[in-house]
Amino acid sequence: MRSTRERAESPRGLVAATLALALTFAPGCSEKLPAPIPSASPESAAPKRGGVLELATFGDVRSLDPANITDGLAPQIIEQLFAGLVDYDKDGTIQPDIAERWIVADEGKTYRFFLREGVRFHDGEEVTADDVKRSVERALHGSARNPAASYYSSIVGFDALDAKQAENLPGVVVEGRYVVAFHLSKRDATFLRVLAMLPLRPVCKSGGARTSASWHPCGAGPFKLPPNGWQRGQQLTVVRHDGYFRPGLPHLDGVRWTLHQNQSSQTFKFMRGDLDIVRDFATPELLRFQADPRWKPFATYDEGHQILGEAMNVQIPPFDNVEIRRAVAAGIDRDALRRIRASNLTATNQLVPPGVFGHDADLRGQRSDYEAALEHMRRAGYPYDPVTKTGGWPHVIPYLVYKQGLQEFMGQVLAQQLEKIGLRIEIRIVNYPTFIALRGRRDATAFGPGFWLQDFPDALSFLEPIFHSKMIADEGTNNWSFYKNPRVDDLIDRAHEELDDARRKKLYSEAQEILADDAPWAFSQNFRFYTQRQGYVRDHHSHPMWMHELKRTWLDRATGPVAGRAIFSEKGLAALLGTDVRR
Amino acid sequence: MKRVLRRLAWAVFVMWATVSVAFLVNNALPSDPARMVAGQQAPPAAVEKIRKQLGLDQPLRVQYVLFLRRLVHLGPSSIAGPSDPEHGSCANLGALHVDLGRSYQQQRPVTTILAERAPRTLLLAFTAAIVQALIGVTAGVIAAVKKRKTADRVAVGLSLLGVSAPTFVIGLLLQWVFAFKLRLFPIDGYGDTTAEHAASLVLPAVTLGVFGAAYYTRIVRDEMIGELAHDYVRTARAKGLGKAAVVVRHALRNATMPIVTIFGLEVGTLVGGAIITESVFRWPGIGSLSVNAMLDRDGPVIMGCVVVTSAVVVLSTLAVDLAYAILDPRVRRG
Repeated sequence: MRSTRERAESPRGLVAATLALALTFAPGCSEKLPAPIPSASPESAAPKRGGVLELATFGDVRSLDPANITDGLAPQIIEQLFAGLVDYDKDGTIQPDIAERWIVADEGKTYRFFLREGVRFHDGEEVTADDVKRSVERALHGSARNPAASYYSSIVGFDALDAKQAENLPGVVVEGRYVVAFHLSKRDATFLRVLAMLPLRPVCKSGGARTSASWHPCGAGPFKLPPNGWQRGQQLTVVRHDGYFRPGLPHLDGVRWTLHQNQSSQTFKFMRGDLDIVRDFATPELLRFQADPRWKPFATYDEGHQILGEAMNVQIPPFDNVEIRRAVAAGIDRDALRRIRASNLTATNQLVPPGVFGHDADLRGQRSDYEAALEHMRRAGYPYDPVTKTGGWPHVIPYLVYKQGLQEFMGQVLAQQLEKIGLRIEIRIVNYPTFIALRGRRDATAFGPGFWLQDFPDALSFLEPIFHSKMIADEGTNNWSFYKNPRVDDLIDRAHEELDDARRKKLYSEAQEILADDAPWAFSQNFRFYTQRQGYVRDHHSHPMWMHELKRTWLDRATGPVAGRAIFSEKGLAALLGTDVRR
Repeated sequence: MKRVLRRLAWAVFVMWATVSVAFLVNNALPSDPARMVAGQQAPPAAVEKIRKQLGLDQPLRVQYVLFLRRLVHLGPSSIAGPSDPEHGSCANLGALHVDLGRSYQQQRPVTTILAERAPRTLLLAFTAAIVQALIGVTAGVIAAVKKRKTADRVAVGLSLLGVSAPTFVIGLLLQWVFAFKLRLFPIDGYGDTTAEHAASLVLPAVTLGVFGAAYYTRIVRDEMIGELAHDYVRTARAKGLGKAAVVVRHALRNATMPIVTIFGLEVGTLVGGAIITESVFRWPGIGSLSVNAMLDRDGPVIMGCVVVTSAVVVLSTLAVDLAYAILDPRVRRG
């Protein structure tokens, strides 16, 4: 039997040990951020050549074939490997790339491109018009996975090639060694914009006439993939293409992406100076960097060109009643929702985000108006009395959301807001693949978050997939509202062929006003990214399509990794094992 | 011999059942692998095209038969390579082929992907199991010998802490202290050279080791307390043998059976279960592969992970059973 002393000592000892442990590690919980690692040269210094830019991402790359882009990370890497006839600059404007100029003829149905002479692929071969035609046919043939193929459906002969009923594309004509023409079956106002995307970018002759999973990516971009540059699921390194056609570029020796790196590891490494730019922050860390004035000069807010909102299935009650939908659009408090993640969200009243052609700053759009929301409920036949808390829609509405997404938290706030106008929702959480499958299935879900990212910087990339009735299908539709409005369809179809920007913008605005009033979605937020870089990363710009503009980026690091924070010397076990744990 | 053959036949049956249940469950989930391949923003027609390319438009029973038929079959002794249309996704030992298909996402043979990942998982699992056993057995012996004293309470208390704290907490703590603050080890990853692999292995193996050592501690402690109370221990001491020799050479040896059982089972569990640790430390093993495959609904990779992990668990259990016969003559005679 234990003595009284032993009984008394044992819990005290355990408590003391626990407290000691906690006090040892507690300072780490509130430690100050390290200072940014500065640049070696003044602001006016000319760019220096050299260095490898270190980036990281939580995601993974599935394929680096421009004809097979199916994940969100691949575009920013493919952009570095493959130059196109045209490209987007950092402001989203179309600029010449491999093509030094082009003319639009035949009332907008012919685009003729004049290639620069002497543009070299990574294997040293010259890029010619034949390579352009071969690459286009390779990407649009029905055997290629290419989920974006339908964007090019206006090219003559597309349907037969897509259906594997033809082996070439008559709409792409080689008119000379450096001249290639695209003939369209009808005017297409988006053609240049979709051509500037990645799928049709010229690939080396090693890419062949048809896609192959074992092909080593080879293009004419500023960087190339070395033979062992891609360790699947681990890291991907590209190196400078010395034959790149823009003289003196790129400045960097290479770029390395660390894959599948979680947010806390990214932050650790960034603070240590082992990563140069970070975008993937956990919110607490993001707020710390934002609040630190030393880091502010090296941070930018970039528009994400995304819309977040609440998508209502107009074929399922109560959302088959337009007044209920209007009540939702007016009843949500956009500012309260924005504060769920104020560092990344901005409230909006319309479908098309700022920075995308077709965004209308003067659009009336949707507005948060509690009294108007109650009035819409009354007109719907379900008046709600906020004093007695009676009335409203009599049934609970299932709200489908996916786990651990931002929308899961927004849904909880939304439930409280909608209750105040007489709509009760029940949040049902599923994993992301299930969510995507159910949202795109007819009659599967009545209500849930809607979100869309631009495919190209034009309102059509939002309007057409989400609200055109031709996109409705029993399975896999992106028109999650199953919304059908002939007037909106007509406006979208006319905008597709309207080459005059001013007139097209008017068509977009008209379509947006109808959607704001019809309210198949309650448009709520736009997302923006916070990009933090180290002080020695120079001339870096975020890109509206490719995340990073890296051709002109250069590194000018004054010192090695952040020192003075380690208890032991940096050598440690690393020296013992003959490895360097620093970069 | 008959016993071994019976166990092998049972192992094959267990594997078939596991794989079949996994196949059915994977295909019963309300999600669309073709949509996950195409991307959320792909138009329905593009999704449909990919569905046909992947063979997912076929009835489930047809897909199951094709899967089983392909899984183990006879084929040519040499394969042209991954581009071989018939056998490009096979791994072969002579004419015996194993074909797990191609990853929907990566379009590479699943056997190739697993061949990259499996050795790293086995390395981590084996190292972690050794760390678990070393820490746990040492702590358990100390706790038993110093029963009800401070050392006993500390050992049991720490083992309780180890098993209670979530793995990601232990992992992040070790990362912060030893990689970020002290810079002794890499923060994460696998490294490029053998030395870097070794340095990268330490923190994830210790994370898993701390977590699992608790079981060893409790069991070894209880077993050792029982052994130390036996007459042969008193006799050995009376004969003049030192305490350490009695504990290690006699009592501990008799307490090894449960340790062997746990060790074998732990290796099997760790092969498929180190998911969180692999994610925290970005260790490119089967655990992280299977999680990503589930999130992407990459059916062939999911099935490949099931086949590998069930094979490892079944084989490790078989090895444990056979080890009993070697360690305990009573089992051999029985």
